Amino acid sequence: MRANYQVNSGVQFRMLSEDQLEELFNGVLHVLEYTGLEVHHEEARGILSEAGADVDELRVRIPSHIVKKALALAPRSFTVFARDGNPDHDVHIGPGRAHFGPGPTCPNFIDIETQERRPYLKSDVPLVARTVDALPNIDFCESLGTVSDVHHELGALYEFAGMFPNTSKPIVAWSYDRFDSEGIHQIAVAEAGGQEAFERKPTYVHYCEPLSPLVSTFEAIDKLLFAARHRIPLIFTPCPIAGGTAPVTPAGIVVQAAAESWMGLVLAQAVCPGLPFIMGGVLSVMDMSQMILAYGAPELSLMMAGVTELAHYAGLPLWQTGGCTDSKTLDEQAAIEGSLSVYFSALTGGDLCHDVGYTESAMTGSVFQLAMMDEAIGYARRITRGIDVNEDTLAVDVIGNVGPNGHYLREKHTRRYYKTEFWYPNLCDRRNYEEWAQMGSQRMSDRSIGRVQDLLATHEPSAIKPETEQVIERVLAEAEERVKESA
Amino acid sequence: MSEVLSKLATSIIEGDRDVMPGLTQQALDEGLGAKQILDDGLMPGMDHVGKEFRAGNMFVPEVLRSARAMQASMDMLRPLLAETDTKMVGKIILGTVKGDLHDIGKSLVAMMCEGAGFDVHDLGKDVAPEAFVEAVKEYEPDLVGMSALLTTTMRAMEQTIKALEEAGVRDTVKIMIGGAPVTQEFADQIGADAYASNAAAASEMARKLVGAA
Repeated sequence: MRANYQVNSGVQFRMLSEDQLEELFNGVLHVLEYTGLEVHHEEARGILSEAGADVDELRVRIPSHIVKKALALAPRSFTVFARDGNPDHDVHIGPGRAHFGPGPTCPNFIDIETQERRPYLKSDVPLVARTVDALPNIDFCESLGTVSDVHHELGALYEFAGMFPNTSKPIVAWSYDRFDSEGIHQIAVAEAGGQEAFERKPTYVHYCEPLSPLVSTFEAIDKLLFAARHRIPLIFTPCPIAGGTAPVTPAGIVVQAAAESWMGLVLAQAVCPGLPFIMGGVLSVMDMSQMILAYGAPELSLMMAGVTELAHYAGLPLWQTGGCTDSKTLDEQAAIEGSLSVYFSALTGGDLCHDVGYTESAMTGSVFQLAMMDEAIGYARRITRGIDVNEDTLAVDVIGNVGPNGHYLREKHTRRYYKTEFWYPNLCDRRNYEEWAQMGSQRMSDRSIGRVQDLLATHEPSAIKPETEQVIERVLAEAEERVKESA
Repeated sequence: MSEVLSKLATSIIEGDRDVMPGLTQQALDEGLGAKQILDDGLMPGMDHVGKEFRAGNMFVPEVLRSARAMQASMDMLRPLLAETDTKMVGKIILGTVKGDLHDIGKSLVAMMCEGAGFDVHDLGKDVAPEAFVEAVKEYEPDLVGMSALLTTTMRAMEQTIKALEEAGVRDTVKIMIGGAPVTQEFADQIGADAYASNAAAASEMARKLVGAA
């Protein structure tokens, strides 16, 4: 028993002070109260007005006490569950827990067989989901692409229908509109065994994206209302670009992004008090020579750390970003940009870190980048886990027993800890030169490709219920019917 | 295969040293010969361990625990094998060469070779050429293993080989060398018979050199 003894569990990282966070927090409240946002959804404006917002045509201004009430209602910790009850696949959101997964909606994909860049296809979805299911450090699923070879309104629905049977890890479901959301929800509810069962153990998170600067679009709000009314955990994440659609300064973009996200928070909590709400968004710079949103910029990591600390200050989990790159191929740039942002994201404890596997500034999804980043995440997680200091780990007795000139290889102490204290790589090569040469002198990129192909050849995700398969078929058939009629 | 032999093999794989003497006694009581217990009980267990280690499914501390379990049985079998003049896989003397105090790599090789069924005499570290010569005369090994971690002490390997030549015992043994700065080229240059780049490769090479693999 020790008095006044402090333990650091894991590595300590903190960028902003309490005072700075309060300053940012008050900045967000100021923007929401005095500038407000455009909300392009009449019903939502009515709900917000009733909740105490000041509605002036499209413009909605929210007094800070209303925002604070909404913040108090939203939980900081909750669980998104594996659809098959596998506890290893549950995602427990809460302080100090960083989770990782791919992102959505890249138009292109690196073909798994040929490694060539081409449009993202329906047949890619199950492969991405199965790889996600197999990779040990990837915790949730998105598809890494927008399906190009189905009717253009049905991409999101086909995407979810392809992911759901191929991974039991929680899915973050992106969609175009309420029709998609309904179809997606029917599939998840069928597997859960009804709406009530789903509400007890939600298996997916609904993703909505408002527009920067300061616009809550009809679709984003309409999907939000659907999610809130069905008690589906919600991500409301803008994608402001510093210097383009947001202030150029990291503090400024954080304030604007938070205001955009918290408009969704206030609405969601008004409809469904206590709804799990994950704050967004993706914050980075506009490269002023290439005019792109840079996914490999150091400012992305900085801005994301700022918005993460603000979210945690306000008592919300955050939709983090990392493991992405502006590189066009699986090269050194991809490794540097991806690994550093993964590591920085892990340090912030940002709750769900997405876009792992994005290349070419989000234009191309790569499951090979995803696999390489799985390794970087494992590496980062070992570092952030830190060092345990206690009587047994101090090993003073063991040091005494072995003494000068001895060795530790046969000590029980070694056997007790070497598997948990050491991180073992899957892709990083530690063979000696001869063995490495004998194995074909492979580069990291070769090994990443090999690992994906091996996993796809061997890994079988757990199956969904037969009745869910029928629901998927019916939902897709009805959607095809709907788009045919509207044509 | 008799049940007790497969139990011996399994216990080696699991590294369960405590059950080995009992199982070995049981095998002897059932009328099995020491040589058969070694060949059909212990070695299949260690072979499996070696394979799993190379595949990355087992790690050094587990391999050493298995080797220790095997030794618990070998302690009982060794006198019996000697009585019937049955050879072990082979006999090996090992040492870190003169001037070099680095022990861990050589100790690993010793333990891995024990696991591979060798009778191992570890001479320790900072072993002078004369001490190698003495040991060769005393133990009459099949193999001499030398280790060095420093480029400055590598040359002592060559001096040791020369000393063995001068004593007239060079041709009674095969010589293998290893250590971080050592290469195949260096082994060729100084007239060693073999080089291994790590402990697992060394025990494999040792078995190859005595014709057991």
